[in-house]
Amino acid sequence: MEVLVQILASGLTLGAMYAVASAGLCVAWGSLNLLNMAHGALLALGGYAAYAVSTHLGTPLAMSVLLAVAAGAAAGVLLQVCVVKPLTRRPNYEVNAIVATVGVGFIVENLILKVFGAYPMKQPGEFGAGWTVAGVHVPASSVLILASGAAVLLLLSWFMDRTRQGRAIRAVSQHREAARLMGVPVDTVFLCVMALAGALSAASGVMLSLVTTLSPAVGHDPMLKAFIVCVLAGLGHLRGTLVTAFAIGLLEAWIQYALGVRFALPVLLLLVIAALVWRPTGLFGRQEVVRL
Amino acid sequence: MNTTDRQDIRVAVVLLVAAAALPLLASSRYAIGQLTLFCIWALVAVQWNLVFGVSGIFSMAQLAVFGCAGYAAALLVLHAGLPFPLAAVLACLIAGAFGLVIGLAAFRLRGPYVALLTLAVAQALLVLVLTDTGCFTRQGASCLPFTGGARGLSEYGDFGFGAWLPYRHAPLGNYFAALLALAAGTAFAFWLIRSPAGLAFRALRDNPVLAAGRGVDRLRYQLVVFTASSVFTGLAGVLYAAHVRVMGPNVLGLGTLLMVLAMLVVGGLGHRWGPLLGAGLILAIDEVLRELPEWRGTVLGLVLVLSTLLLPSGLAGLRWPLRRARPAAEGREARPPLSGVPGA
Repeated sequence: MEVLVQILASGLTLGAMYAVASAGLCVAWGSLNLLNMAHGALLALGGYAAYAVSTHLGTPLAMSVLLAVAAGAAAGVLLQVCVVKPLTRRPNYEVNAIVATVGVGFIVENLILKVFGAYPMKQPGEFGAGWTVAGVHVPASSVLILASGAAVLLLLSWFMDRTRQGRAIRAVSQHREAARLMGVPVDTVFLCVMALAGALSAASGVMLSLVTTLSPAVGHDPMLKAFIVCVLAGLGHLRGTLVTAFAIGLLEAWIQYALGVRFALPVLLLLVIAALVWRPTGLFGRQEVVRL
Repeated sequence: MNTTDRQDIRVAVVLLVAAAALPLLASSRYAIGQLTLFCIWALVAVQWNLVFGVSGIFSMAQLAVFGCAGYAAALLVLHAGLPFPLAAVLACLIAGAFGLVIGLAAFRLRGPYVALLTLAVAQALLVLVLTDTGCFTRQGASCLPFTGGARGLSEYGDFGFGAWLPYRHAPLGNYFAALLALAAGTAFAFWLIRSPAGLAFRALRDNPVLAAGRGVDRLRYQLVVFTASSVFTGLAGVLYAAHVRVMGPNVLGLGTLLMVLAMLVVGGLGHRWGPLLGAGLILAIDEVLRELPEWRGTVLGLVLVLSTLLLPSGLAGLRWPLRRARPAAEGREARPPLSGVPGA
């Protein structure tokens, strides 16, 4: 029983983090066909932005989080305007975009390294000791992550389902040309998508920095997990991605308990590969009509 | 054999002779060491180009294969007690098998899925090595984990050129071995580009429907190319292990991946001569930045982004004066396939 609660608690915390991180990747892929390899760097950027704001300006945590999310959104827009947009009109877009964002991610990480140094940093602020549920200690940071993750995801689904801009994003991901013909301003939608993706990565970066220390490479592991989640769910399928994120989080917590922490990623990967061999377009991905 | 082939062979022979004569000009230990590294990284880039640029497999596992071979050689020496040359040969075969397994797992998927999955495999290897802290054997007084952990493996020996050559010229052994490997790997790449497999990839890129209709089996050709290039990449890994004499997890990291990717992209993805040009340029940049190591990552990233944005077909795709006179040569270029996968 205690083991079960322990696994549930850490699995749901992991799941909430993965869900927010993969949501950012997923919206970018869904409408822009962009595999954003700078995602990990944006994550780190969000974490460091919150750190810098709260240490230098002394703002309360909520305020620094908002500022960090704004910084992430700005970085997303910048990425779209400077790098992704010029590539869209050229052949080989998908590959070029992956290569270019790998470069952007590396630049951002190295700049962070230059500004803040390699020394791991702790996000300021204390969150109390936490609670004991069914004999298991649940730290307050986990509860905070779970709550903020739920809030972000609810906000995201409200935005995508209920607002005009969200409907435009969904229209563009369904069929870009048809949306354009219906008068959807596709370029504006792309900007909005990248702002959203940047904001989501920054948010997940801040969430991550609550449980671990900040370092320039802090985003690598979450980015990899987010990739695994997105691939397993089927690239671009938002709802499926969120469900898969929690499933992966729980599975990872269980593997960590059963086999040890260092085998979590390899075993997870084996399972995902097996699942993909069974369904090459992901669990929720549409079975595309392959003409070859 | 047409004019382009003859021209290629002439250029290759001139380059090879120049490379073999280069140690006469730059005979310091350091210069020869850097030249050896150039040969090794260029070999990796040439093979990655074959996989990625020519056959359209967006694999990010190239350096995982490279590291796998280097580690395999070191592990076979340290834990199985084999002599290094024998371990090196076995390591190349292991690399080929590793490539085959990755290929079988990944190639059922489409372009970006392949990239993500292969990247995940590479990172999983890195994590496995980094978190390896258990005591497997003892090396001297200290404890040695099976894969060496974060510290890496050392003291596994090398090809033993030092025993044959006078002390002053000992580094030349590794250099000529690497040069020979690079020549063989490049010859293989050129041969493959104009072989039936190369033609098949060109057909799949130019008209996927017709090619598939005529019975061109993409998966089979991709598996063959990936496995063969994995053997050559493994060779590069073994040479690296012998030259650097330390096999550490840093070769599996993103920094190395980025460096070789930059070589590919700057040189011109899918172009025959691209990876060699790119490797030369990137290592030259590295050399310039030797005094400013903290800017190396930023500059590499910038080079990668800018060359994707401004130089879509790389240095090799620029209009060289020689090429303008011979427009017929254009058709033979293996341009990168549309959206990464022929048939997507």
